[in-house]
Amino acid sequence: MITSAILILLLPLVAFIIQIFVGKRLPRKGDWVSTGAMFAALALSVGIFIDAVAQYEPNNVLATATWDWINFGPVHVTFGFLIDNLTAFMLVVVTLVSSLVHLYSIGYMHGDPRYNRYFAYLSLFSFSMLGLVLVDNLFGIYIFWELVGLSSYLLIGFWFEKDSAANASKKAFITNRVGDVGMFAGIMILFSITGTFSFNEVFAAVADGHVGGTLLTVAGILLFFGAIGKSAQFPLHVWLPDAMEGPTPVSALIHAATMVAAGVYMVGRTFVLYTPDALLFIAYIGTITAFIAATIAIVQMDIKRVLAYSTISQLGYMMVGLGTGGYTAGLFHLTTHAFFKALLFLGSGSVIHAVHTQEMDEMGGLRKKMPITFWTFLIATLSISGVFPLSGFWSKDAILASALGFGMTHPAHMPIFVVLLLSAGVTAFYMFRIVFLTFTGEPRDKKKYDHAHESPLTMTIPLVVLAVLSVGTIWWGWVEHMLVKPELASYGSHVASAVEHAAEEHGVAHSAHTIAMFSSVVVATLGILLSAVVYFWRKISADAWAEKLKPIHTFLWNKYYFDELYAATIIRVTLFKSRLFAAFDLKIIDGIVNGTGRLTAAFSRLQGSIDLRGVDGAVNFVARFVGYLGSQLRGLQTGNIQAYIMMALFAVVLLFVFQQF
Amino acid sequence: MDFSAVVQDNINSLLYFVPELILTGLILLLVVADLLLKEKHSPWMSIIALAGAVVVMFSVVGQYELGTRSIFNNMLVVDPFSLYFKLLFLASAIMVVFLSIGSIELAGRPVGEYFTLLMTLTLGMFLMASATNMLTIFVSIELVSIMSFVLATYLKTRRRSSEAGLKYAIYGAFSSGLMLYGISLLYGLTGTLNIYEIGEVLAGRDSHGLALVVSVIFIIAGFGYKIASVPFHFWSPDVYEGAPTPITAFLSVGPKAAGFAMLIRFFNVALATGGGGGSESWSATAGVDWPQLLAVISAATMTLGNLVALSQTNIKRLLAYSSIAHAGYALMGVVLLSEQGIHATMFYLVIYYMMNLGAFLVVIICQDIVGSERIEDYRGLAFRAPIPALAMGVFLFSLTGLPPTAGFIGKFYLFAGVIKAGTSFYWLAIVGLLNSVVALYYYARILKAMFFEKAGEEATSTLPVSPYYVTLLAVFAVPIIILGLYWAPLADLAHHSVGFLRAL
Repeated sequence: MITSAILILLLPLVAFIIQIFVGKRLPRKGDWVSTGAMFAALALSVGIFIDAVAQYEPNNVLATATWDWINFGPVHVTFGFLIDNLTAFMLVVVTLVSSLVHLYSIGYMHGDPRYNRYFAYLSLFSFSMLGLVLVDNLFGIYIFWELVGLSSYLLIGFWFEKDSAANASKKAFITNRVGDVGMFAGIMILFSITGTFSFNEVFAAVADGHVGGTLLTVAGILLFFGAIGKSAQFPLHVWLPDAMEGPTPVSALIHAATMVAAGVYMVGRTFVLYTPDALLFIAYIGTITAFIAATIAIVQMDIKRVLAYSTISQLGYMMVGLGTGGYTAGLFHLTTHAFFKALLFLGSGSVIHAVHTQEMDEMGGLRKKMPITFWTFLIATLSISGVFPLSGFWSKDAILASALGFGMTHPAHMPIFVVLLLSAGVTAFYMFRIVFLTFTGEPRDKKKYDHAHESPLTMTIPLVVLAVLSVGTIWWGWVEHMLVKPELASYGSHVASAVEHAAEEHGVAHSAHTIAMFSSVVVATLGILLSAVVYFWRKISADAWAEKLKPIHTFLWNKYYFDELYAATIIRVTLFKSRLFAAFDLKIIDGIVNGTGRLTAAFSRLQGSIDLRGVDGAVNFVARFVGYLGSQLRGLQTGNIQAYIMMALFAVVLLFVFQQF
Repeated sequence: MDFSAVVQDNINSLLYFVPELILTGLILLLVVADLLLKEKHSPWMSIIALAGAVVVMFSVVGQYELGTRSIFNNMLVVDPFSLYFKLLFLASAIMVVFLSIGSIELAGRPVGEYFTLLMTLTLGMFLMASATNMLTIFVSIELVSIMSFVLATYLKTRRRSSEAGLKYAIYGAFSSGLMLYGISLLYGLTGTLNIYEIGEVLAGRDSHGLALVVSVIFIIAGFGYKIASVPFHFWSPDVYEGAPTPITAFLSVGPKAAGFAMLIRFFNVALATGGGGGSESWSATAGVDWPQLLAVISAATMTLGNLVALSQTNIKRLLAYSSIAHAGYALMGVVLLSEQGIHATMFYLVIYYMMNLGAFLVVIICQDIVGSERIEDYRGLAFRAPIPALAMGVFLFSLTGLPPTAGFIGKFYLFAGVIKAGTSFYWLAIVGLLNSVVALYYYARILKAMFFEKAGEEATSTLPVSPYYVTLLAVFAVPIIILGLYWAPLADLAHHSVGFLRAL
């Protein structure tokens, strides 16, 4: 099993190396190398997954392997793999979506001048993401975390000729770094106390009560900062909508299905480290994120941006799931979301490919022209809206039930559920808004409509596969059994906290489930109906309402003014600092560089002048011998640095000889 | 290893790290102040730097009460030995700030980053004096070196300054490389980086083979570079000549003393055994006769420095070679394996600080009023600007080692130590004495130019010297005379600061 894990990791890496160096010279620019590697990794992952299912044990650890990596004094850093049920799930999700996106990209990126580099980056990303999922320690997860960030940066800015893309890639990278600093600090706190990075050893230290209390809460929240950045949670969510400047398949793979879920995965992986206080923090961040993003999505007109905000919102849901103790729910939603959100993005990509615009204003009526895209897109939309019996229904319902159960045991935190429920309605509303605006009604741009056509097979096959995966009625049962919330025996005893996570008590959980299910169905139906009234039957004019609610509309259209806020505060301060550093560069660094450039000339001139001075520097008031000796020795000082170093080395040898005899 | 104990020790250590913390705060404050102050030449920068340095000095003095204590998991140590050097570094930094304020070379260059770099360099020297682990030793050397590179190129528009910095950097990289290799060999031999543990491990073995010798020679390369001893001195004349004069003055005193602090600690702890308080001497670790090695380096250093200084026509270059020679003198005390020898070196470094900085101060003043660094342009200076000329006389007398100046007392302690150490080092004392005679020639040449030669036709007017400079000259010259007559307080302080080595 470890062998296949290593292979899964190496396949995309090898593909990356081949693609980046010789991709251009391969037939078809080597797209089959990356794609083939990905499908092979998929096959191996499915193998691991089947093993996991065959054993069908809760939180089963299938295999581990550890190697010594760095030994330095008391510091021992190991590197290893950990394959358990969660890993098996993530492996399949990542390799499956990645393979489909590879396949889809063959059609979508056709004719791009940097076609091979695109596939190289995709492979690099897949490698990093798989590494992130496979490693068994915090240090490793951090490394792959950064690698994932790097490949995301490369892919967002893939069309770097566009200023907006270049800026978006920078924004994504920098925003992520902000969160990563916190994560690094969290890891270092844990390391400094436990002396290890390994998940199991850190968990054991927590179980022993070696780490606890406020420090553990702080460490947990700091770790979560990383997730805030990578999973685009409030207040670091601003980068994800801009990341849509990247190619659409990239948005589907990285900025919808896998990388942004890495934060959720990381929280799930380190779940036992989070004290109830830290979990509460996570739950509230998730709630705020889910609501803010959903409301912004209502008014956006760019199809990919709507989907981006939808992604942010859904990631918020996952965080709430984890934060309210619904470990299984949160990770389950990660899985289902990966499939239907990838499908939505690939569907939107198919549309964009057909009409060459991302503005929904210029679409409409595309259903007849693109039937496969329409139907698959509709399935995904129903799923994300939480319509029975699609996969999204099960996972979202589980999260709502978890939030409700939490609210029932802690009435003070009931608003989490209420806000989440409300956001679920909003989700249904804006998702159907996309469907209606894009696929139904009269074409608003006749010319673009006439050019539109269904996408090629390489693009539609992934859509169909993902659509099948989004219809996952049978999912919930086994996921619930395989991914059980991990508990540490003595966990509660030494963690003083305001909240206890007792939602799992059977009665509460059961009634919570029933209520949550019904209310979510009602809310989703209401959202869909309202959307239909506005955008399908056109009984209510969206423009008129926008005019009536002008202040709110403007506020939402401007995305709560987050970008402006950051520009006015953080960015301004940073720019101020950077001006300082620029001045430093200009004065000192450039000075050195320029000096180096002129050095050769300076050397020869200096030697010339020393010769000159050697001649007239006659020493007339010391004994001739001493003077002679002095000027001879002075000749050593030629001004030539190479000569100095040669002489010093020679002298070292002399010293050695002297010491030996 | 218990990590919470490690962390706890780090936290506890902060109490003993107050001067360094204040210094760090000062560095940050300088950066911020530079941003806030509109003018690029605001006098506030130097005021902040000076006030901060004085505060640090008080906190260093306060640390004398703490005795000897190892901090940060034996990475650093706070003991009277390091405190003695830290006071010397602070005194150098403070005086260099004063030197820089008046320097015309630096006029027109932004002062903010200058002081920031200067104080960071001082922090690096603090760490050098305290380091007890090969890693902290290396890192602190690098901190000092990198700051020095930048400061040497501070006049980036002047070609010589840029070139000086580049040479310095390349040569520094070379030495660091050698030293790092030596450290890694030593680590391989002993399995530890802590110099006390290295000392114990080496003392417990009879023979060490070639590797130890190679390692020690490579490490000497690193130290030798810092103190500019032969054969690792090649960078210094070029750098001293090219760098802004206040920086030259600083480099010739501060980092050199820091190099000595580190060298003394390393050799006497890691590569020596026996001893144990009192004036008793101890012996070098079997297998490496480093005292003889350093003695040869010492003799070569002073001889080469003095001989080459003879034929220099540029005063800065001359003083560069002179400072190489003085490193050779100061090394004499290190090789003796006795507290008396170390005491003499420590005492000498303080006196060297005063006389060398004083000489450079005169150079700065002459750049200002005469506009030249050439010795021939110093002709007749005694008649045109008597006060600087007189002060220069004091400094040069002291550098030569003539009574009744402090330089004489310093050399006296050194030679007395060497003679007392026994017959095996008589040759070194003789070389040292001969060198002093040679040195007299070139120092006297400057005096001759100033007092006995007539300036050219075109230069006869008197040159005004500002009261600021006169005060500064007095600050250096007067103590040199006083210490030449009554040196006991300084000698006592140095004496009390030696008892570091065997303890712990």
